[in-house]
Amino acid sequence: MLPAILLSGLAVGAVYALIGVTYNVMFSASRVMSFTAGQLGMLGGVLGAAFIGVLGLPSIVGFVLTLAGCALVGVATEIIAVRPVLKSLEQHLYVLSTLALALLIQQFTAINWSTEPQPFPTLLGFRDGGVGDEKFWLPIAACAATVVGLELLYRRTLIGRAFLAIAEDNFAARALGLPERNLRMASYALAGVIGGLAGFASGQLLLAFFANGAMLNFYGFVPVALGGLGNNRGAIISGLGLGVFQQAANFTVGGVFASVAVFSVFIIVLLVAPQGLFGAPAQRRV
Amino acid sequence: MKITRRGLTLGGAGLATASGLGLSAPALAQSEPIRIGWLAALTGPSSAPAIGFDRGIRHATDAINAAGGIGGRQIELVVRDTQGDPTKAVNAAQEMISRARVHAIWGPTNSGESLATTPIIGRAKMPNLHPCFVDTLIDPARYPNAFRMAPSNSQIDDAVSDYGVNILKLKKFAVVGDTTGYGTTTVNSSSAAFAKRNAEVVYRGQIDATQPDLTPDMLRMRNAGAEAITIWTVSPGLISRIMNVRATMGWDVPLIGHPAMGSGEVGQLIAKPQNWEKTYILGFKNCSYGPDGKLPGHVQTFVDSIQGKINLDDSTLWWIVCGVDAINVIASAVRESGGTDPLKMIDFWNKQNPYPGLYASYTWTPQQHNGLPQSDLVMSEANSQRQGAYKLAPGYV
Repeated sequence: MLPAILLSGLAVGAVYALIGVTYNVMFSASRVMSFTAGQLGMLGGVLGAAFIGVLGLPSIVGFVLTLAGCALVGVATEIIAVRPVLKSLEQHLYVLSTLALALLIQQFTAINWSTEPQPFPTLLGFRDGGVGDEKFWLPIAACAATVVGLELLYRRTLIGRAFLAIAEDNFAARALGLPERNLRMASYALAGVIGGLAGFASGQLLLAFFANGAMLNFYGFVPVALGGLGNNRGAIISGLGLGVFQQAANFTVGGVFASVAVFSVFIIVLLVAPQGLFGAPAQRRV
Repeated sequence: MKITRRGLTLGGAGLATASGLGLSAPALAQSEPIRIGWLAALTGPSSAPAIGFDRGIRHATDAINAAGGIGGRQIELVVRDTQGDPTKAVNAAQEMISRARVHAIWGPTNSGESLATTPIIGRAKMPNLHPCFVDTLIDPARYPNAFRMAPSNSQIDDAVSDYGVNILKLKKFAVVGDTTGYGTTTVNSSSAAFAKRNAEVVYRGQIDATQPDLTPDMLRMRNAGAEAITIWTVSPGLISRIMNVRATMGWDVPLIGHPAMGSGEVGQLIAKPQNWEKTYILGFKNCSYGPDGKLPGHVQTFVDSIQGKINLDDSTLWWIVCGVDAINVIASAVRESGGTDPLKMIDFWNKQNPYPGLYASYTWTPQQHNGLPQSDLVMSEANSQRQGAYKLAPGYV
């Protein structure tokens, strides 16, 4: 059973890592910590189950529609909850606006979908419950694909470099003529796609459940804090580590004590390295 | 004092009016409807039971009214949707007592709301029946007006532990619940019930209902030597994950406990239908199919009579028949006590030993307001639901 436990830890960790990357992509473009990241993950599972399981669409069509739906929610987040508060970032109003939107999404899903978890359809047919089960491999594969995809996007494409430019210094990027608002919206759409992918790939593991949003918001934030804000590689490594550690804690101490163990380690790490394990200390010009 | 013609006229008119009102009051009381307050969580996440109870309540009310009512008085339901919210339930109870002037209250149907409304209904000395499980809701000294028509949590713990120890003949149990207040308290009380029967609780704990993989927890239970797992949660996600992991591990351990393990949602979430086998839930003797595939005679007759009138497939039979019983118990109190005097109605209920209902044969005395006898609580096969009822679990004759 040990390989299954490790594999399931890596799978859950991959989901946390992807939600962490979702946080980071939104943060890089706007300097806003958007608490809709977990809800995008939840929507990925719910929309996938709705398109494929309920409407009976082919898996690939359901997959594309799910990502498109989550991208739209990402853009809506930028327009509704982020853009209006960008001028007063120092007041941290985005905490309220993004949390409010997250709650709105969660309640809307509960009312229109279900308050009970619903099944997510099998995509490839590998459902033995053991190490070969696709519910473990799909999130890991989605995480790997995202890492490769983001590397290619940021290093090999013009738009990717433009994303990096506004993440680095949006005033300078604007001065160079980059369309900052459009790039920010594109970043939020990209975050929607990554969050949706996390939810879709983990649908069989987490089920299509409206309450997953809050859980993913919570555990997805841990890799961001551990890996360093805006650091995708840090988020991926921390997310995977978190998943494995959580499963190990479930096995050794069990139940609610596992959560205590996870957050104890989280607090200790932040006390030792406040900038995160992979983040550089913030420099301030004086 | 000078008596004027105007004064004499006004005084005479007043006297005549007062006399008329006084004379007509008994007639009015005898013809006014019997108002029954129904505190129902008809919408919201915990609405399923109330929707089931409502079907039975409306069926019984319509049947009594169609037969001419009680002593010529029709039953009028005063329904308020509490949405499962204790604050709304309190407001609705107060409004029923002071403005709608109901004669008895049925409900609320979940313990959270009932904990809030019971003292208020008690202060008004309003006859109150409810199907809530929390033990402290029934206390004849503090709430002489409140009567329970369902099992208490202690009775449920006793039924489940008795099945595990005395019928399945097992000695070592894992007791798990979710991380809600209900899960936490029930794990404690259930463990105590096993200990009372000299069984060993080798593992106990809470599991977050959203935890994606339960393999580590199940391994801990198996390593501890558990021969059965007792589960206390209403979360279909958690229940189905336990069933799926049990199958993956190839662990042939029985699951016993909460009726939610028999819900249709669980059936949708399990990986294979076989994963639902060897799972036994709390049930009720009158709402269980015997070896002949039939319900007890009087319940089977009722179910046959409502075919096509009440949908049983998307609800639970005990909710519906308990709703029928609630109206009949109130109607009997009015009929036998000769009216809607609250003290006389309560006095009638205190003398029922037993009151033969569809859901159970209720016994109430001035000292005991838990109506359900322990012998009416049985265990059922979780995957055997048909028309809202389940098959008796193995071990019952």
